[in-house]
Amino acid sequence: MNPLRKKNQSRTDNVEENVIFFFWNNKKYFANKGDSIAAGLLANNQYVIGRSFKYHRPRGIMSAGVEEAGALVTIGNGAYTEANVRATTTELTQGLSVYSQNAWPSVKFDIGSILNVLGRFFAAGFYYKMFMGIPPFEWGRGTKIWMFFEYFIRKAAGLGQSSRLPDPDCYEHMHTHTDVLVIGTGPAGLQAAISATEEGKDVLIVEQDYAIGGSYLSQPDTVELETQIEVLKKLRVTILTRTTAFGLYDDKTVGLVQVMPAKEYKTSSKKPRQQFNICRAEKIILATGAIERSYAFINNDLPGIMSVSAARTYLNRYNLLLSKNIVISTNNDSAYETAIELENAGATITILDAREQIGNKLLRQIAGSRINLHLGSGVVKAEKGLNTSSIGKIKLVEFANNKWRYAGNLSCDCLLISAGWSPVIHLASHQGYPINWNEENACFLSSGDNKSIFLIGSARGIWTKAGCIQSAKEIFQYNSRKKHKPSTVIGGWETPLAPLYEICLHNIKGKAFVDPQHDVTSSDIRLAYQEGFISVEHMKRYTTLGMATDQGKMGNIIGLALMAEALNCSISEVGVTRFRPPYTSISLGALAGRNRQSHFKPIRRTPFNNFSIQNKGVMINAGLWQRPWYYPMESESLEAAYIREATVTRRSLGICDVSSLGKIIIQGPDSTEFINRVYTNPFSKLPVGKARYGIMLRDDGLVFDDGTTWRLSENCYLMTTTTDNASSVMARLEELLQVRWPDLSVQVTSVTEQWGGCALAGPNSRNLLTKIIDDPSEISNESLPFMGIKQVLMQNVPCYVARISFSGELAYEIYIPSDYAQSMMEFIWENGQKFECCLYGLEALGTMRIEKGHLTNSEIDGRVTIQDIGLSKMASSNKDYIGKVLKNREKLTDSDRPQLVGIFPKDKNKTFKAGALLNEAGYLNGHPLGWVTSVTYSPALGHWIALGFITGGLAYVKDKNIVLSDELRSNFLDVEIVSPQMYDPEGLRLHG
Amino acid sequence: MIQIECPFCGKRDQSEFSYGRESQITFPALNADENSWYDAVFLRKNTYGRQIETWQHTHGCRSWLLVERDTVTHKIFSVKLAHTDWQKQIKKTT
Ligand SMILES: [Zn+2]
Repeated sequence: MNPLRKKNQSRTDNVEENVIFFFWNNKKYFANKGDSIAAGLLANNQYVIGRSFKYHRPRGIMSAGVEEAGALVTIGNGAYTEANVRATTTELTQGLSVYSQNAWPSVKFDIGSILNVLGRFFAAGFYYKMFMGIPPFEWGRGTKIWMFFEYFIRKAAGLGQSSRLPDPDCYEHMHTHTDVLVIGTGPAGLQAAISATEEGKDVLIVEQDYAIGGSYLSQPDTVELETQIEVLKKLRVTILTRTTAFGLYDDKTVGLVQVMPAKEYKTSSKKPRQQFNICRAEKIILATGAIERSYAFINNDLPGIMSVSAARTYLNRYNLLLSKNIVISTNNDSAYETAIELENAGATITILDAREQIGNKLLRQIAGSRINLHLGSGVVKAEKGLNTSSIGKIKLVEFANNKWRYAGNLSCDCLLISAGWSPVIHLASHQGYPINWNEENACFLSSGDNKSIFLIGSARGIWTKAGCIQSAKEIFQYNSRKKHKPSTVIGGWETPLAPLYEICLHNIKGKAFVDPQHDVTSSDIRLAYQEGFISVEHMKRYTTLGMATDQGKMGNIIGLALMAEALNCSISEVGVTRFRPPYTSISLGALAGRNRQSHFKPIRRTPFNNFSIQNKGVMINAGLWQRPWYYPMESESLEAAYIREATVTRRSLGICDVSSLGKIIIQGPDSTEFINRVYTNPFSKLPVGKARYGIMLRDDGLVFDDGTTWRLSENCYLMTTTTDNASSVMARLEELLQVRWPDLSVQVTSVTEQWGGCALAGPNSRNLLTKIIDDPSEISNESLPFMGIKQVLMQNVPCYVARISFSGELAYEIYIPSDYAQSMMEFIWENGQKFECCLYGLEALGTMRIEKGHLTNSEIDGRVTIQDIGLSKMASSNKDYIGKVLKNREKLTDSDRPQLVGIFPKDKNKTFKAGALLNEAGYLNGHPLGWVTSVTYSPALGHWIALGFITGGLAYVKDKNIVLSDELRSNFLDVEIVSPQMYDPEGLRLHG
Repeated sequence: MIQIECPFCGKRDQSEFSYGRESQITFPALNADENSWYDAVFLRKNTYGRQIETWQHTHGCRSWLLVERDTVTHKIFSVKLAHTDWQKQIKKTT
């Protein structure tokens, strides 16, 4: 093959300003503006582009579109590297670096092609069989032999290599709403956009190519295209190029990805590299065109073999005549137009038509030319030329007595194939619209639903341009309430095609490719049949047909046809696998958009956040919240810090941010009744000004959440929830009030973010409180007893004070309106300096609650009953509440259920971790007796302690020797099982 | 990628809503027998086709809704507020 750029053509004049340079494997070349990478490479006589996936055979350019299975390249450098880019659809830009891939040391000579010689080992099912061992002794059965081969396979297989650097680009998301979305800008798509706009519709038209026009671009002149574009511009229709509609989803939603040209992102521009656009449309028109098929013959993957339509595109769009001497093998009328154009451009043309007869109109068209026409003819084998890796010779066959027979050789450096067309019905298939095999045109067709999803043009199986345009006009010429009945005739060729999927003769051997990207051959399909993998889904997985980046756009139908032949049935009986999005590969960056790193999830900060950071607080993620973890002094470690914080708090005073607790205001005449139904313990006698700890169950009787609820007035409560469950408790209460008990007159409002919560804990907490609230008499032991709540003024700001303790010390929680939180916290902290005082974080909070046996979500993990956590006395028998009935199910009331206990190491110097198992000494194997949920060093007790669950609880294991086992860390130690209230079990410290 | 027409907020993307449960479930009285609670909590129709289900407009007005949806095609036939009194009120005002 020796492609030539034609001179003096209007579209891309070889004037200097139209010439750009690029690098191919680090060597500088020149191309024309508007060239695809493939066109630029062909213009420079570079047509061996890479090596194939499995056998490392040389691969060239096979098409001019998205179906490309051969010419995959890597573009860009460093962090901007992009692998597996289709050379046929990517625009060449000034200075672009392009690299071949999957070839070592070079595309011309590749070590891996030795695999080609060993090819019989790599037939379909190779990997599966290796797991079974090598016959006859199943040597290496299992993983050993697999590991042996894997080393070599991993080295050789695979496609391009991506950069391992972080992606420096930015990606955007957007949403679009439109009346009509037209996908494709060929003759049908442009006409549909015009007709829809004329009907007064808002229209968006998208094109995956960087140029508008679809098959118009491959025509010798562009007059028609320019006229249509003018009309669209006048009608102000939005046209997006470089935009792929990659998937059709429920409710008429289409996923679009727009990819900016390479030159944009090579600069330091902050413009997004790609934009992910979720488009919703009332009508979606698929004018997605059709893809020309090849057929299987030996060495049909040699560089220099291409589709007929590709040659037409290179000729008319890029001014490239592929060769002076071209052979066309076809089975349909569509190739003839291209043949005439190629001849006019100066090539000698030979047509091998598989049909024994063609129509008179077609014969008249070529009558005046010098085209050599052979009817009933095809190719059985292509052979390499001398000193080249591309095609040099073909073996011909002719059709006689209903079979092919050898008919001599022909020298040929460029072979074009057209074995029929496959309409692009992928998007319709994504939504499960029926797909039917059309025998006459040898293709799968779909018609969408003809109400909101339409297929027009060659995507509907219409082969003539006039027919395509007519099919677009038709959609808008009917009453929109009726179902559309398309009148345009499918097909449109003078003589029907002759189905052609493979030509083989038993005495001519070699590899005939069905899926050239994954190196699946026709014999692989037969092997799948022989071994019983006859359903399409099995065949696909066994042979990997259609599983490469091109998703079998060229090869799938050949595979189905060969399977149908083996099964002696029709293609429609073999069936087709449903297409899945994306239509062409899209980058993860586009799907992630700006939701990366710190923007991956929303961040919630408490009103005290700045205060914590100013005071050197180290923050930790707690769900979406940022909570202070510990406040190191100088270079203090986490361990040293939390031990100091807990010690100072128990000795004197600690201050902690507890704002992330869920806070819900419950109001209305039935609020007491409502709270009574939600909590297991009674609330009807809770006086105004008091709080009560409550347990909430799920409908199935297991524990849902816990927290305190404060009675602010007769019909108004403040409920607090755990940080983790704040949103689910809120949704749950709303569901109960709106769906289950609409008769209750109650309103719930989340006020979590309206109040900053701050805990003061330790023997000096009341002393500090006395200094900071405006009227200290309100918080004396008498006026604010344990579990008392009160609205007080602090610096004239109304705040709530509740005498609640999570630490087990005399403690208060102050709720401050969020807007005042920062300054108020500074005020509290300043006054705290009059005592020995510290700020404490989540770690010290955890330590003190474990010492007291208080619960968090480590214990209330959705699997425990109220008895399991030792709170069965909180389950009232005098009232009804959610979960009351099902909590009494047989298995939930067994006395040998794991129950909450405290754990001490017998050797007080030993440490251990959460997640360790508890066993009886001598029974380390099998099902354990229990497990450890929370672990801490206890400054109050002077050794490590834990909470956990153990079968039967304290009573059952009282006289047993229990061993804690952490197999992963090889840590085994004797432990003592104790009551979960490990520190101050009488609760004397609470009362100060 | 369905859209749900919230009676308060209008047509909104499904990502703003959370699915609740099949709406035909009637929860028995809090003191009903174990079997009726068992049925309500554990037994599901798992309808193939049209069913009414509850959804909450979590990232919107937080209303619980009754959505009639085809579980196969995801087509939505009707949406109304689950709270019966609110339903009536919204009718009066419109
Ligand atoms: Zn709403």
